[in-house]
Amino acid sequence: MSAARPQRPFDTAVVAARDRENVIVGNEIVRHRLVSRVIHWSVAVTFFVCVFTGMPIWTPVFGWMAHLFGGLTVCRLLHPWAGVAFFLASGIMFVHWIGDMRLEPGDREWLGPKAFAYMRYETEDTDIGKYNGGQRLFFWAAGLGAIGLLLSGLLMWFPRAFPPLLLEFAYLIHDVTFILFAVAIVFHIYLGTAAEPGTFGSMVRGTVTREWARLHHPRWYRDVISGEEDRRR
Amino acid sequence: MSVQQNLEIRRSSASVWGSQSGMRSVPTVSKYIDTTTCIGCKACEAACIEWNDLRHIATEQTGTYQTLPTLHAEYWNLIRFNERDFDGGLVWLMRKDQCMHCEEPGCLAACPAPGAIVQYANGIVDVNPDQCIGCKYCETGCPFDVPRFHQTTGKMAKCTLCVDRVSVGLEPACIKACPTGCLQFGTKDDMVALGARRVEQLKSNGFTNALLYNPEGVHGTGVVTVLAHGDHPEWYQLPRDPHVPILVRFWKSFLRPLGAIAIFGAVIGALTHYTKFGPKEVRGVDAPDRNLPDA
Repeated sequence: MSAARPQRPFDTAVVAARDRENVIVGNEIVRHRLVSRVIHWSVAVTFFVCVFTGMPIWTPVFGWMAHLFGGLTVCRLLHPWAGVAFFLASGIMFVHWIGDMRLEPGDREWLGPKAFAYMRYETEDTDIGKYNGGQRLFFWAAGLGAIGLLLSGLLMWFPRAFPPLLLEFAYLIHDVTFILFAVAIVFHIYLGTAAEPGTFGSMVRGTVTREWARLHHPRWYRDVISGEEDRRR
Repeated sequence: MSVQQNLEIRRSSASVWGSQSGMRSVPTVSKYIDTTTCIGCKACEAACIEWNDLRHIATEQTGTYQTLPTLHAEYWNLIRFNERDFDGGLVWLMRKDQCMHCEEPGCLAACPAPGAIVQYANGIVDVNPDQCIGCKYCETGCPFDVPRFHQTTGKMAKCTLCVDRVSVGLEPACIKACPTGCLQFGTKDDMVALGARRVEQLKSNGFTNALLYNPEGVHGTGVVTVLAHGDHPEWYQLPRDPHVPILVRFWKSFLRPLGAIAIFGAVIGALTHYTKFGPKEVRGVDAPDRNLPDA
């Protein structure tokens, strides 16, 4: 391996090698192959169309967002269809990643103090695989949230087809799910960009540095280095 | 309706700062419906279609003389021919179904589009199609199941209490057409007084449960209805205790503002975290390849 030479970003050999996940390409490790990235960004784009068309309807405080799409009426027309697209994209993502996201016994702790310790950079956990407990929980919560948003959204889309009381609850479920989703997404984006440099690259180029892998996902790093991750598939 | 700018607005949907100019003081108006003297001639239905230039839609046989099973975006005024068997034989409990112009309108409470549903200072509740986005929230908010989605325009439609007539000093078209005087129009106070007199009359005629339907749950309605069998509003297909659905109030007035704060809070939380802890960087590595594998 040519050690110190920095990778050129458009090296064709490197781009081709990134078709497989969990392999070493030059100085970097492929974390998300192209199909994973495309699926992730299709979820992200549909999610944000939903957010920017939904939030101005949600409360007038966010009324200014309606201008992004040409007014509140356009938002109302787009939102349900964007919601369906988001659900489909989320469904594909769910199936695509479910193999990597099986919950482990200690993951429950991520709901409490462990998440805070993680945010204070206090954890010295060397047993973190490709995804940590917080990421796995987020995956399952997002899947559940997508179902909740779809079902409640369908009721709101066709209100006369359902009993009134059920409808009142549909609005409630849509709202609560969205609020949780929005708060989670703020931190998802923050952690994926500013808070943890190097992470965003895994979703655009698909690769991370060895140092990044060792710091954030030590067990995954060991497995990739030893070829264990490859044999497991 | 485009007459909106000529009228003082008391309340407007999804408004953050309120809409009252406070410049004009006008009395609250009301329709008066006496179900006991309605003869089911449907003159009010025809007058409504005519004045509001509604399109004629196919009627539907429901097994009674009723024109349609329920209200329609092109049919804002429907006489419900409720049939009941009493000892003396069949009785028609006819009731004029339309927007009740609630003092506390559930449609307006639920509506997310600024200015799409307004309540004028005179109490009339109106849909402003220019602002309406056709989201149907008002269907969930209305305790009387009145607003209807118009498939062609994508807007909600309902009785306007002929606000265009009322604003120039005329009575609504349905009132104008009524041949028996069972429909009256005036200030709310006058109509309530008229109703009270009629209820007394009915009581002395043996209808001891007679009642003026002006439900407290929505702080009274802009359409007051005399019922001979006031103890059974459901016989007239009226809800016993209508109110703005509590969950609608909860998510609209409490949960959504709270959620907005939570989202802003998350953003501020992330910024604070970044300021306090900074990024979690890969430190102490200057060359890409030293002693890595021992994680």
